[in-house]
Amino acid sequence: MALRTRRRRLPISAPTGVGVFAMGRRAHRTHLAILLAVLAACGAGREEGRVRPASRIVSLSPAVTELLFAIGAGNRVVGRTTWCDYPPDVRQVPSVGDGLHPDLEAVAAARPDLVVLYRSPLNETAADQLARLGIATLVLSQDRLEDLGRAARILGRVTDRRHAGDSVAGAIAQALAAPAPALGIRLALIAWDNPPMVIGGGSYLDQLATLAGAQNVFHDLGSADVVSLETIAARDPDVIAVLSDRAAVGPPAFARRPPWQVIRAVRERRFITLTGSLFGRPSPRAPAAVAALRRLLEAAR
Amino acid sequence: MKWVALGLVAAGALALAVVLGPTHVPWSALASSDIIRSLRLPRAILAFLVGGALGLSGAALQALVRNPLADPLLLGLSGGAGLGAVLAIALHLAGVWALPLAAFAGALAAMALVYRLGLAGDAEPDPRVLILAGVAVGAFTGALTTAIVSVASAAELRNAFLWLWGGLSGASWEAVLVVVVYLPLPALALLAAARPLDLLALGEEPARYLGADVLSLKRRVYVAASLLTAVAVAVSGVIGFVGLIVPHAMRRVYGHQHRALLPAAFLGGGVLLVLADTVARVAIAPRELPVGIVTALIGVPLFALLVRRWTMT
Repeated sequence: MALRTRRRRLPISAPTGVGVFAMGRRAHRTHLAILLAVLAACGAGREEGRVRPASRIVSLSPAVTELLFAIGAGNRVVGRTTWCDYPPDVRQVPSVGDGLHPDLEAVAAARPDLVVLYRSPLNETAADQLARLGIATLVLSQDRLEDLGRAARILGRVTDRRHAGDSVAGAIAQALAAPAPALGIRLALIAWDNPPMVIGGGSYLDQLATLAGAQNVFHDLGSADVVSLETIAARDPDVIAVLSDRAAVGPPAFARRPPWQVIRAVRERRFITLTGSLFGRPSPRAPAAVAALRRLLEAAR
Repeated sequence: MKWVALGLVAAGALALAVVLGPTHVPWSALASSDIIRSLRLPRAILAFLVGGALGLSGAALQALVRNPLADPLLLGLSGGAGLGAVLAIALHLAGVWALPLAAFAGALAAMALVYRLGLAGDAEPDPRVLILAGVAVGAFTGALTTAIVSVASAAELRNAFLWLWGGLSGASWEAVLVVVVYLPLPALALLAAARPLDLLALGEEPARYLGADVLSLKRRVYVAASLLTAVAVAVSGVIGFVGLIVPHAMRRVYGHQHRALLPAAFLGGGVLLVLADTVARVAIAPRELPVGIVTALIGVPLFALLVRRWTMT
């Protein structure tokens, strides 16, 4: 008897990467709903039936928006960020801001029963504030593909589309488990040109590069670090990937600047452009992003 | 002898900046290396010229406003220049050559505003109020710069950090050429004003009695210091405290006479910024620090020390 009670309580320990913010003292009912949501997310099957699936969701990250549409819960999204551009249907959902500094009034005005945010210090503060307004929130890490699989499962549970969520998570796990054979291409991912900022290990793009069979020459650095040009020259990448909002025609403007000519890949004009929507964020389209990157790399070789 | 020493220190600092870097360049390859020729060398020279411009500008401003705490950054000039440059880029007005002029306009406007605030009802500006006004205008221009960078679409402006903290990562021979073209005129104008600046140190009234044309002198020095600051900001963003530290250090060795102090401040400023930039490049290699952070780390404690000494007398 005692053992059974303990067993039921065990799943309360939240999995890493999931944060639930409903700590306001006045929002007791939300507390309960969220607690149940967590339990459901953790696999506490017996409580699940009592949780009402979220029906009005505000997504404050493009990756979550894509996930919600991918698991067939797109019709419940009542608010999105200005960055959410995929799938195309999402354009019909009203935007509640850029999601970087959540506009709490716009979010609340959409009358959501669940707000999903990505994990960042700013968003955790916002989630606290939303919880105080009595709005349930879910804060999900989504920096890497593993995080996204986990997010897909959790979103599947809170929207009562468990199987769809698990299958999206499964597809992501499959992509992760099967990296393409190595191309022998050393890649540098450049986010800004002045000062030169490169994307290092621990980032989603670094992961994509590995999955596509390339090797990020700045794998040992943080997800975005300022380096000097001579460091890039010394690491001597074969190809330089540039991040851009829209598809670029030809090499970036900095490729013409004299100091950059010390880098072999710049002299040889070996650039590939990664556009924001497909490459800028981990998404259920990751397998397509890997394939597209692989094609770009093969063409640049 | 003192000048030979300073020359040697300058040569040593430049050599150090060329030899040291995040990547290893073997001695035998020093002359032929691309990294040396098109990255380290122009960057070291640019750092030297920018530091020199800021040191010289600081020394002249300290004499002009008779305040040992004067510096292009603290007087709001650098902030104004940064705002001018950022505004010009945001409006797609400026190329490499026009950028110093836009920064110049910004610096002049900031200086006029600071001077206006510094007057505070009197005929002659109060040196203390002037610094307060400079800091206020500096903060205001910093806020405007950040706001413009946040809303502008120009790709060059994506990094407010570069403008607010300064950095020489954009160094190229072209940038060196821009400075070489713009620098001599205001530098020579200041050197020519060395003698009247000595008189001005006695106060505006005494200087006038001793035959200095105070009004025209002040105008000339303001314009020249603003242009020097503007050129520095246009190629490297807002780098603070070089103009504060260097004149004080140089006064100890070369005395208070501006004929010696001004060239010493130029050379000393160059040395300081070359060394600070070397630290910025290698301290956390392969990553890089903004050089303005290095100069602020040295400059702010010194500023505190100077404030203390100044308020105690």
